[in-house]
Amino acid sequence: MSRLEAKKPPLFISEPLTRDAVSQSLSVLSGILKSSYGPAGRLKQLHNGVGGCVCTTSQSSALLGHLSISQPVLRVLTASVRNHVSRFSDCGLFAAILCCGFIENFRSLNVAPFTVIKISRHLLSLCMEHLKSEACGCRVSVDFSSVETLACLVRSILTSKPACMLNKTEVDHLTSLVLKAFIFTVPCHVEANAVLGKCVIIPVKGRRVVDSTVFPGLLLETPEIQLGKPLAVKRTGSKMIKIALFSVSMSGDGFNPEEGTVAVHHGISLEVSELNQLLNVGKQLVKDEVGLVVCQKVMHPSLKQYLQEHGVLAVDRAGLSVMEPLGRMTGSQPIASIHSLSPGCYGTVKDLCVESFASKRFLHLIPEDTVICSLILCNRSETAWDELKRVCETAEHVLQLTVKEPLALLGGGCTETHLVSYIRYKSSSLPASTFKDLDCSQTQYQLVAEGFCRSLESVARSLSHNGEEILTDMIYGHSWFVPSGSPCVSKWSDLVSRCGCGVNDNTEDLSWRFLQSQSGSPVIQGCPKEPSAKVADLLTLDCFAAKCSGLQVALETANLILDLSYIIEDQN
Amino acid sequence: MAAPGPEQPRLWQEAAALAGAVRGALGPRGGRALLLRPTGEAVPTRDGRRLLEALSVEPPAARVMVARACSFRAATGDGAKSFVVLLAAVLGGLRAAGGGAGLRRALRDFEARVLERAAAQGLRRHLRPAPPGLLEPLLEPYLAGRLGPGERRRLALLCAEMCRRCAPAAAARPQVLRLLGRRFAELHAAVPGLPLASSRVLPGIVLRRDFAAYCPTDGVLRALLVTEPLRPALTAPGVEFVVDSEGQYQASLRWIAKRTEALMKRLQSNNVKLLLSSVKQEEEVIYYAKLYGVSVVECLSSEEMALISEITGVFPYTPFGDDMDREITETAVVTFCQPLLLVSKRCVHIGFTSVSAFQPHCLILCGPVDGVNEQHAAAVQEAFTMLQQLFKTVDQREEWKAEGENQSEASDVCTWHSSATQKQLVIENTCNSNQVSECQLKALSDERERKILDPDESDLLVHNQKNHSTPVLVVHNADTVSACKCLCVGKGLEKTCCHIVPFKQGQSCAGIGQDYSNCLIEAGSVLPVGGYFEILLHYYIQDCAKQCQQSEVSIVSNIVADALLSIPKALYRTAERNGFTTFYLEAINLLRKNQPLPVNNEGVESVYCKYQLVISVLHCVTELLSIDLVIGIRRPLQKIEDHDSEDDS
Repeated sequence: MSRLEAKKPPLFISEPLTRDAVSQSLSVLSGILKSSYGPAGRLKQLHNGVGGCVCTTSQSSALLGHLSISQPVLRVLTASVRNHVSRFSDCGLFAAILCCGFIENFRSLNVAPFTVIKISRHLLSLCMEHLKSEACGCRVSVDFSSVETLACLVRSILTSKPACMLNKTEVDHLTSLVLKAFIFTVPCHVEANAVLGKCVIIPVKGRRVVDSTVFPGLLLETPEIQLGKPLAVKRTGSKMIKIALFSVSMSGDGFNPEEGTVAVHHGISLEVSELNQLLNVGKQLVKDEVGLVVCQKVMHPSLKQYLQEHGVLAVDRAGLSVMEPLGRMTGSQPIASIHSLSPGCYGTVKDLCVESFASKRFLHLIPEDTVICSLILCNRSETAWDELKRVCETAEHVLQLTVKEPLALLGGGCTETHLVSYIRYKSSSLPASTFKDLDCSQTQYQLVAEGFCRSLESVARSLSHNGEEILTDMIYGHSWFVPSGSPCVSKWSDLVSRCGCGVNDNTEDLSWRFLQSQSGSPVIQGCPKEPSAKVADLLTLDCFAAKCSGLQVALETANLILDLSYIIEDQN
Repeated sequence: MAAPGPEQPRLWQEAAALAGAVRGALGPRGGRALLLRPTGEAVPTRDGRRLLEALSVEPPAARVMVARACSFRAATGDGAKSFVVLLAAVLGGLRAAGGGAGLRRALRDFEARVLERAAAQGLRRHLRPAPPGLLEPLLEPYLAGRLGPGERRRLALLCAEMCRRCAPAAAARPQVLRLLGRRFAELHAAVPGLPLASSRVLPGIVLRRDFAAYCPTDGVLRALLVTEPLRPALTAPGVEFVVDSEGQYQASLRWIAKRTEALMKRLQSNNVKLLLSSVKQEEEVIYYAKLYGVSVVECLSSEEMALISEITGVFPYTPFGDDMDREITETAVVTFCQPLLLVSKRCVHIGFTSVSAFQPHCLILCGPVDGVNEQHAAAVQEAFTMLQQLFKTVDQREEWKAEGENQSEASDVCTWHSSATQKQLVIENTCNSNQVSECQLKALSDERERKILDPDESDLLVHNQKNHSTPVLVVHNADTVSACKCLCVGKGLEKTCCHIVPFKQGQSCAGIGQDYSNCLIEAGSVLPVGGYFEILLHYYIQDCAKQCQQSEVSIVSNIVADALLSIPKALYRTAERNGFTTFYLEAINLLRKNQPLPVNNEGVESVYCKYQLVISVLHCVTELLSIDLVIGIRRPLQKIEDHDSEDDS
């Protein structure tokens, strides 16, 4: 069918990147992102002007999710970063700042976008090969037999989000909790297709962060349960407690809304008949020596009472979200019919107890093999709690990604400056055939490589918010921060003590230079070295998978945007 | 309301505006356009058809141009942008020459006397056969016109890998390519947020939803397709269930539960361990399925069901109304069935044993945003359409027959007498609804008949003057032409032109395949990309025009010859200065000296598509110039057959 209403003609914008509006929006966006980056990043307050809560954050997922961006070009950028965050949880700001940097640096070059894209692709492949090679000096392998590297990884994530408002003790406490929770989710018995368990986060707001704690197994909130009374639960012969899990409603009015009509003769009550059936189920459960019944939906009070009278603990309104971990933990099958109970559906728990936490009461299900755990997460305010929850989820996700690929990258800007040193060294020694393959001149290649390096450096520079100078050394290619207001000294080693990631110290002379100085960037002689020192215990580390993917996605997105020759906007 | 037909300057302006809009996206160095939909989605694209449609032009003549370009693209999978650029150049040339009815008539004579002669005497000497088995040289230049510079190589490799793995036997490739083009939506899964490098080809198919119930199994198992709820319903629409007593009600519910359980038990005893359902099943069904070790996947789309039926040859099973003891035979053999984690989303990954030559494989496309994945998917799908053009070889007659039988509703037979030969040509007009988008161009020959050919026929040109309501014409030559090609331009109410490319005997052509030395352009002929076709045709048209007596035809020849250069000019637009001039002078010098042209390594393109492009553009020009009145009507015109329904996805 043709449309009858008048259609508006589409808006045709050619060469969108040359427009001032785009470059202004881009610099505003990159300003917001850069100022939020890192442990010293400034917080952003998001509010909508008509009241409601205010979100204080410095995380990319919260920032980009709430910003409404009108420039279509930037919408592509933010959509891409948000997709990255939804896959990896971490390194969102890194990818976003890097992408803005690529666009800004490449656009100002007087090289055709076609050539820029080809060359930058080649540079990316150099980076990826280096990051994946054994000789790479900016990655560390994660040893799962000791907890130190993992703790560094988690601590780096927690400290990089200043909106959580954590002090050092709190960071240490949460680091150990997150690690403990992660270790709980690793299955004890290794099979061919081992699947990691789940950590369920339970919110408790208004308490101190150090009150947070982690339990093996699941906590079900049960407001009715009496504190202090010992739990008298029926146990089977092997001292275990049998559990039945119902996903069907047991309220007695759960008629399936089918099509067609049901005519009921006078004097017949379907409710009574349903209730009788429920009580039959109850009898069967008691006969089968079930000790605990959990229902996802509502349970009829009569049935509940019947079960309690027979020493069966009944919990209803458990909600859909706990059903999957509950089934996994107890090995029970959620029952969806009240007409037949199969003995194969029942699961077991080792023990039950009642926990009380900040006016909330929980039934604690203690399993035999722990793959499910519950993290009670406390923070003082609502917004800080939201931020903290996102951070803990990120940390858990990063640990899961690290299990798959036991590697981590040096944080604190050192990976970026190291890659820059590597690219500068590598691009100065390329064979002529490379330029021929890429259909470009050596000058063009050098220009694009310089833009690439500057973009990476701008990420490292974004870590400095208080006017600190950033140096890089000519041996390892790490980044070093000089406190602002430092006096002029002859030796840099008097001012810098440790590099950004914490691997190197100032004991040897590393010939420091300014990062992005006016006099051009010196090229180091030879490949940047791998630090010889053994890994210190307080390293700043980043997730390998997230950062590698962030680097690739940033470049692909920047290339996509640089390749745009026009925008056609349908204005209907 | 009626207005006089568009005048030539006006036509040229409109065409030039369209050409200006697509020129930036033309060729390997072209840029992308970002289409912003009213829903807020941003889709990057370089597809000429999408670009032209997004412009949603108003003037009727421009709409005709867009429609012609799009229908040409739909037929060959390529060439919408070149179409518009060439059209604008031809119209521009005609305008500069002063136009007039004489030139319009000369266009037709030009086609018969000059263009075909140029192709036959000059162009075909340069043709070469497509590299056997290698798809990358064709795919890479094709994708270079559709994707950004960083993506084409990777996607060409993926696309070629997919073709090879889906059709290990080269003989099955045309058939498999058709299936790939048609079912690509179900044969790929897009993952946003990952770099392109993570894209890969997986065996089996991926259903983009999680299992409703998953029971891990090892080894080969059987799967059942269902299209209805497996739990019997108490009532149905228009059915009243009367409850006499409480006992009866409970007994009915119990019966339903028992019946569902019995069905699952039966599936288990038949080794059916996977249920693929097009509808959502009741929770009770899922529960019993889990109890009896049957995995369930729900809410499959009808396309997915059709694909599975096509792969396995199995049709959906109806559980009720037959006796419960019968063995279930409608089962598909599944080699594996497992959850697949596409980064953070769980999907179903199933391997089927195929009953046809098609070995099911699935393409996982990764890109930073959905729009990029959409662009990649569309490009790959149309690459399959493009490859089909190459595989449409002259010896496809058997397959064509089978198709024709399936769809021979409403076929009328028209008969012409060719003035040159007085031999009959039979043109079957087949209502070919399924194949519209993919086989508008058919090349076929009749080898049995070739023996009795009269070798000294002169040029033969048949124009189909009738209006056809269906766009697909299949030309079936009874005994005249050994190989003929049919192109249909236009759809709906437009005039359908059928053009038969003649052949000329007695010329010294360095034939490639001996069997097909009679036809003008053999199926599967290719030329290097980068404007070689246009330069060659330009040179030979000018060459032939010199021998031409009529002054108007030679004027038109020069116009078309110059217009052809607009495409290489656009291709070299962004390259270094004088790129085109250097290339042009070099090529023309070599041609004058009768030396072969230098070969680049950038790949090859199908000459067939290119030649048809020139002819379609000429027909479009003729059509546009023949319009004398534009009449506004109240009711929208009914489209008779939608060409593009398949490509819109």
